[in-house]
Amino acid sequence: MTALEAVSVYLPPVRIPIESLAGPLGLTEMQVKLFRRFHGLREVGRDPDASLYGLLMKAAAGLDALRGQEHRVRYVLYARAMPVVAPYPVNPLHEVCRALSLEHALAFTVTHQSCASGLLAIDMAGRLLAADGPGDPAGPLALILAGEKAFTHDAQVFADTTVFGEGASACLVSAFGARDRLLAYASNVRGDFDSATGENDARLQREYRPLLAEVMLQALDEAGLTLDDIRVILPHNVNMVTWQRMCLLLKFPRDRVLLDNIPTSGHVFCADLFANYQTACERGLLQPGDRYLAAAVGAGGGATFAAMVFEH
Amino acid sequence: MATPETGLDAEFRRRVIDTMTTVLARLLDRPEPVTEDMRLMEELGLSSTFALELLLELEDQLLILIDVELMDQDQMKTVGDLATFVAGNSRPS
Repeated sequence: MTALEAVSVYLPPVRIPIESLAGPLGLTEMQVKLFRRFHGLREVGRDPDASLYGLLMKAAAGLDALRGQEHRVRYVLYARAMPVVAPYPVNPLHEVCRALSLEHALAFTVTHQSCASGLLAIDMAGRLLAADGPGDPAGPLALILAGEKAFTHDAQVFADTTVFGEGASACLVSAFGARDRLLAYASNVRGDFDSATGENDARLQREYRPLLAEVMLQALDEAGLTLDDIRVILPHNVNMVTWQRMCLLLKFPRDRVLLDNIPTSGHVFCADLFANYQTACERGLLQPGDRYLAAAVGAGGGATFAAMVFEH
Repeated sequence: MATPETGLDAEFRRRVIDTMTTVLARLLDRPEPVTEDMRLMEELGLSSTFALELLLELEDQLLILIDVELMDQDQMKTVGDLATFVAGNSRPS
């Protein structure tokens, strides 16, 4: 069963207040107030001295479980929200593989589900590894990288919804591990929410929470569980008010949704899940055997609603 | 004065309604008056984002803090519903 063997996260120490982004991003005073007051977004991380390669390497540097196990890594998946992040022929993923002595691994990017691509990458990694052969505690591994530079306007802010922060994560996945086992994955890919013309935006706002709730309940159902079995929800860091309202919709206690990183890091692209997982572990919120739910929405060029159930 | 049925301060709710209808007409660039019985989404086309802007303006103008995290948007069908929520779930800023 797909399992998260180890997780490392890098969040830059430099924090930029939302107000400082108003000028460069063309935000009105009202938009800034809305971000701070209701969306709970106070600041985001930026690492002006680190390239995208540098960000990913800083996350990988903390992945102690990788040391000496490089030969076991068969796949490197880069889960990405933005389809293009570097000018050809620059390829940060391959640069990272070389630096980590992982040239032998099959490396590729998982994208086009925006910020839900991280969950897809976990599912893909597990299935690829499982298809390679029978279970073996010392068997093959996959490395999932996530995190991006906030290069462009679209990579820094999503209209009146969220502000993106820089950061990165590195996660080792096995097909048959014992810890943080993936119990179920559900996703709903909705191309009809294409954002190119803006005409679907209001409908997406209306249907966002019900569709996310639906996919979360579907994942639980596939795992044979209910929300009562869930110790904590690890959300995508879109904003506070969305998740506060999700709690009302799901009738789930707000203090069991890990919202700690939203005010200080913003939405760290596909790395949210891993950052929130690490925070949950650091805060002692997960005990062995606890089940938790991860959820994400990738919006832009369509929308993907995704959820995963894990057992710690 | 609080109404016995709801415990709401009717006078405050009236002030919320008055402010809300004025702000809504401006936000939505609507020349016709906005009234208490109007449906927020179907009639006024109010999006989630506009709704939050409206609440921010109400906070500023009425000097209150609204407990937005308690707001079940699906229950807010009309301008009056939203005013009732604001009147019952806010405190002086």
